[in-house]
Amino acid sequence: MRPPARLSRTACSARRAAGALALLTALGRAGPVPAATLVIHVQTPDGHGLSGAVVTARPLDGQGKRPAPMRAVMDQVNRAFAPDLLVVPVGSTVAFPNSDSISHQIYSFSAAKRFQLPLYHGKPYPPVQFDQSGVITLGCNIHDEMLAYLLVTDAPYFGRTDAQGAWSADVLRGRYQVTIWHPRLRESAADLERELTVGDADRADLTLHLLKSLQPAPIADRPHSWDY
Amino acid sequence: MPSFPHIRSAATLTLLALVATGRAADWQMSLDTRLVTSDAGRSFMDGGLGTTRFDRNDSGVQLGRARLALSAPLGELWSVHLDASVWDDKDRSPLGVTEAYLQFRPYPRAGYRLRVKAGAFYPPISLENRAAGWESPYTLSYSAINTWLGVEVRSIGLEAQLDWLGTRTGHDFDLGLTAGAFRWNEGAGVVLASKGFMLHDRQTPVFGRVGPPGGAEPFQQFDGRTGVYAGVEGRYLDRVVLRVLRYDNRADPTQIDTVSGAIAWDTRFNSAGLRLESSAGWTGILQWLDGETIIAPPGVRLVWPFRAQFALLSKRFGRQTLSARYDRFHVDTNSPDGDGWQNGHAWTAAWLFDADAHWRVAFEWLRVRSNSYYRTELGEPPVATETQLQLAVRYAFGL
Repeated sequence: MRPPARLSRTACSARRAAGALALLTALGRAGPVPAATLVIHVQTPDGHGLSGAVVTARPLDGQGKRPAPMRAVMDQVNRAFAPDLLVVPVGSTVAFPNSDSISHQIYSFSAAKRFQLPLYHGKPYPPVQFDQSGVITLGCNIHDEMLAYLLVTDAPYFGRTDAQGAWSADVLRGRYQVTIWHPRLRESAADLERELTVGDADRADLTLHLLKSLQPAPIADRPHSWDY
Repeated sequence: MPSFPHIRSAATLTLLALVATGRAADWQMSLDTRLVTSDAGRSFMDGGLGTTRFDRNDSGVQLGRARLALSAPLGELWSVHLDASVWDDKDRSPLGVTEAYLQFRPYPRAGYRLRVKAGAFYPPISLENRAAGWESPYTLSYSAINTWLGVEVRSIGLEAQLDWLGTRTGHDFDLGLTAGAFRWNEGAGVVLASKGFMLHDRQTPVFGRVGPPGGAEPFQQFDGRTGVYAGVEGRYLDRVVLRVLRYDNRADPTQIDTVSGAIAWDTRFNSAGLRLESSAGWTGILQWLDGETIIAPPGVRLVWPFRAQFALLSKRFGRQTLSARYDRFHVDTNSPDGDGWQNGHAWTAAWLFDADAHWRVAFEWLRVRSNSYYRTELGEPPVATETQLQLAVRYAFGL
């Protein structure tokens, strides 16, 4: 387990980990484990909450099922991916319908899924299935400025932080590995993995303080027709 | 030597084929009209030494540019691109093609992207002419450097570009290498040596002529040599672009075309550019050009070293863009009497307003102060300060 120096936790999580674990084991044998609320806060180095960060929580004790695959849609609208970030469980399919009147050629050379997809206007293409977890960077071979991300996860709990930089989920009690990802993070994924125990309190909090500032956000209002 | 009418016919046929199969083609059309007032000396388009596009006889309403551009896929990995414009009535033909090329673009693999172009196109030098039709989104008139590129430089040949897409693989940087081989650019340099630098937005069509009959023809081939260029580009996120390029048309300066009497201009230059952008709408561009052009007809070897720089600062306020640019330029000569010597600088200020997706209104003030040897030959004072004001209204539509 990583040193907890950068983590601030509520009193009832880490310190009682051992006891809670014993309790969990007992409860696990006895039947369904009651739920508690897991709250993750992500803070930038200047102390502001980071919105839009992807949080995943994966049980280390084997409880909790794999998330059910879903059918997601990532459209192409006005030479941009919409949305430009999707989080989907392993095994999900994503459709790329292309609502533009122009053609796109979607590609990924990311290890988790390499594919190429020509999208001609009015010519639907079957959805793409994503069977391996990881971050997939998507581009368009015709419009270099188009950029989007797919995060494929095998964690049963996942989501994105809100405007205040917080994400929460009702989870089964137990030990969890929590990961954070954001397209503009400069820290490696491994540096942002944490383990924590959701103990017998109703709520467990974990705050992740980023040490490196984010990459600046892409310039938003630059016309698509410009050489970028 | 292929004659240009054949190539123009081929381009026209390609255009017609594109229109005929236009289902998959992306196209753009625009019409840019100007209200002009200028005190400049006779324009280069009339064979004069004026440094701006419009001279004191052009005040009034003028056609800025009427443009038609098409891009169409040919299968999945090839595409064809055509940019044709009508500028005014002094061209050889009403419609001039500024770029026409085939592009091969395989899907990026393992973080690398390859692009190959064949045809007629601009080498990747300008950091200013980034809008459709090689226009500047900052000012109506291009900088002295990029005006010259638009007048005399085009790659008619092959270009390969290999990019390492670092920003797509978790890094802050992208890197690119470009190499090109071209012909039909033996005339490049003649306008610099015979008129010097100018600031305008009049791009010479491929195989076109600069000015009235008898004017310079940059796109010629008669010495059988292939020119080359090679460049490097580095990018930091979408904020900073740094470009360096070496160009050498490798013309044989002793060659003279027996049919037209044209001389081969051996032109080589180094160029460098830096563009910085911020999310608050600021853009700064610096470009630098340093080279020479040489002719060596029997018994003489004439060299014109040239260099130019500009700095541009621009700020976007919503749909409005305010820009200011300072240009410096110099053409030297080894000719004892100073043939072709020119020195000057220019200030440009422009306001562009994109009213909606179709309409753009722009206002530009341009003042060029230059000292030119050739003016003395015409009996004029060598130093001239020329001011041009333009109000432009452009309507564009397409996909």
